[in-house]
Amino acid sequence: MAKEIIMPKFGFTQEESEILEWLKQDGDKVDKGDPIAVVSTDKISMEVEAPESGIVGGIRYKVGDVVPVTRIIAYVLQPGEKAPETDAVPAAPKSEATAAPAAEEKAAQPAAGATPAAPTTFSISPVAQRLAADLNIDASQISGTGRDGQVTKKDVEDFAASLSAGAGKVNATPSARRIAQEKGVDLHALSGSGPNGRIQAEDVSTARAGAAVQAAVAAVPSIGAVPGLKVLKEIPLVGMRRTIAQNMQRSMQQAPHMFLQVDVEMDAAEGLRKLANQNKVADAPKISVTALIVKAVAWALKQNPIINSQYTDEKIILYSDINIGVATALDNGLIVPVIHNADSKDLLEISRELGDLAQRARSNKLQPDNLSGGTFTISNLGMFGIDRFTAIINPPQSAILAVGKMNKVFVPDENDQPVLSRQVALTLSADHRVMDGSQAAKFLTDLKNSLLNLGEILK
Amino acid sequence: MRELSYMEALREAMRQAMQKDDRVFLIGEDVGVYGGAFGVSAGLLDEFGPKRIIDTPISEAGIAGACIGAAVTGMRPIGEMQFSDFVVIAMEQLVMQGAKMRFMFGGKAEVPFVMRLAGGSGTGAAAQHSESLENWFVHVPGLKVVMPSSPYDAKGLLLAAIEDNNPIMFFENKVLYKTKGPVPEEMYTIPIGQSHVVREGKDLTVVATSVMVSRAQEAAEQLSQEGIELEIIDPRTLKPLDEKPIVESVIKTGKALIVHEAVKTGGFGGELAAVIMESEAFGYLDAPVKRLAGLDMPIPYNRNLEYHAVPQVENIVEETRKLVKGQY
Repeated sequence: MAKEIIMPKFGFTQEESEILEWLKQDGDKVDKGDPIAVVSTDKISMEVEAPESGIVGGIRYKVGDVVPVTRIIAYVLQPGEKAPETDAVPAAPKSEATAAPAAEEKAAQPAAGATPAAPTTFSISPVAQRLAADLNIDASQISGTGRDGQVTKKDVEDFAASLSAGAGKVNATPSARRIAQEKGVDLHALSGSGPNGRIQAEDVSTARAGAAVQAAVAAVPSIGAVPGLKVLKEIPLVGMRRTIAQNMQRSMQQAPHMFLQVDVEMDAAEGLRKLANQNKVADAPKISVTALIVKAVAWALKQNPIINSQYTDEKIILYSDINIGVATALDNGLIVPVIHNADSKDLLEISRELGDLAQRARSNKLQPDNLSGGTFTISNLGMFGIDRFTAIINPPQSAILAVGKMNKVFVPDENDQPVLSRQVALTLSADHRVMDGSQAAKFLTDLKNSLLNLGEILK
Repeated sequence: MRELSYMEALREAMRQAMQKDDRVFLIGEDVGVYGGAFGVSAGLLDEFGPKRIIDTPISEAGIAGACIGAAVTGMRPIGEMQFSDFVVIAMEQLVMQGAKMRFMFGGKAEVPFVMRLAGGSGTGAAAQHSESLENWFVHVPGLKVVMPSSPYDAKGLLLAAIEDNNPIMFFENKVLYKTKGPVPEEMYTIPIGQSHVVREGKDLTVVATSVMVSRAQEAAEQLSQEGIELEIIDPRTLKPLDEKPIVESVIKTGKALIVHEAVKTGGFGGELAAVIMESEAFGYLDAPVKRLAGLDMPIPYNRNLEYHAVPQVENIVEETRKLVKGQY
């Protein structure tokens, strides 16, 4: 029996994954447990493993395709076997150079309406299957009218006709149109969750935050290289890169950033850290500067809950959970593992967790839970030699702290005599929709004082 | 409050109206000695005598003509079509004469009669005794069309209809006759042209008429377990239609399902859907307005087929789920 390989579901809310790489091709031998493909959610990449030993066959999607979870992506076959064809679903290619990105987005959505999303129950007649393939239509989004909801030839023809009739037009409910008009959202950039991809009110509400970004990002691939310039390489905007692009653009466009800076003398904190590391028990982790800052930030957030918040159109939500993300550079991008409830953890725990998360990040072993739920982010470019910088808020959070390199500087003491001191520049980027300068300043001052008197908050 | 059946509520309305006003009388086939085909007028002959409870020959045109004639001369007749299907025989009188007299006489003639009609399927009475023809009359200017869904509404609306100075088609439902509900003993009226929000909910507006109101309520109970809250509106009067509560409800929920027993094509649901879409609610619709109605076929005699020819509770549940989940 041909064994189905399905697109796995890694997280509770995950609906689709993108195929980043096929590690095996049709005809390759695999053993049970061998990685077959690398797929990505919007945050991390994961490997899909062979469910049993055999030969890979019937690969249905190509790199860059976004596939709903639970859909069959390939088969493991035994010698002499062929991959089943009858319920095959033509891929929805996520073409890089398409003129209609919105339509392509739609094609990649899970089927809705009368068509069951689960591949096991999706049924299509052979002739309809062939016609759909010829017309390059994702048959899974067609509502079948045949027996037990089977998609018939006429269904495919009708669907194709409806596509051409609606070419360039948007399929959206009146309510969705009204909200989109009120909020200035471009419906062309959205994909709908209703029947045949119809955009519904909820789609506009959930997507409006990212709508402008989606349109902009989706439009980028359609712009080719500048004529006359030699191309070194083209980096497809997929997976993590696209997520970063969307989130950062959305943040910069929607959240009015204000920036506040302080230089903090770290001599006391550094002294404490060195002392702790010298006296640590054998297998305890070393305490890093980042850990100190995480601890101090957690304390300061607790004093200033307005910073630990989220902006929505209807309200500002303050969180009691203090979950601090620490931006971590990777070769090909950036990832933000989260220390949950950092305010209730001690320095050792935070250091241990930071080390563990960093290692997982580098070896691509982070789990979705390691990356979700952040309420504030710290970005430290000090190790890259940067003195000071401003960071972009990581949505949906309200603020981010940029940490620079620790520099030795002379500062005047109480008698105005120069004293050598180690200082670090902290820059807070805060969402002015949520808070005002005085509130951000209060937080930054509390943070500074906590680092100056670290011993106090560690008690 | 004491409970009465829908049938008893109608009987009490007629009795109280006749006690109060000598001009009120009942005329129809078997309304006297037999007490009405479904027993609605049982006992009224003994109380009011043959001059006010009048058995007629089998002539619906005659019943309608007598009502209209009596009404224009100052009486307040109640006619009965023992099956609403038979109203076809009386169409000339009702549509050509009764509905138009006030208009054609420049407002000098009033035609205050109530025609009671027993409609609907579910009794195994086959194609010629089970139809729901109310929308034919909605289409006729000059007639009002009333359709009570509960004993309380039946009494209050019938008393209001008898007091009204215009011809009223009063569609009762055979399956509802024996259903019970609270009914005040005193005389009361429910204004003609006032919709009733039967149940409040946030997820979907169900506009249902007659027997479909209670089916929608039953469906709403089931759906409530799943976290889906239906808002149910009973127009009670199809004409004149009180649009406001319906429009407001759809603005709130964004979705509307219309449920009636009459066949879908050319039924009242089409009118209601248009009313919603022409209104302010259009911009709030998050799904097409859907109709759940009788199949486009005569009502079958076979009880199983009859059951499936008109909307049942399970159909309302299923249709609602699809609409709410955006899988219509």
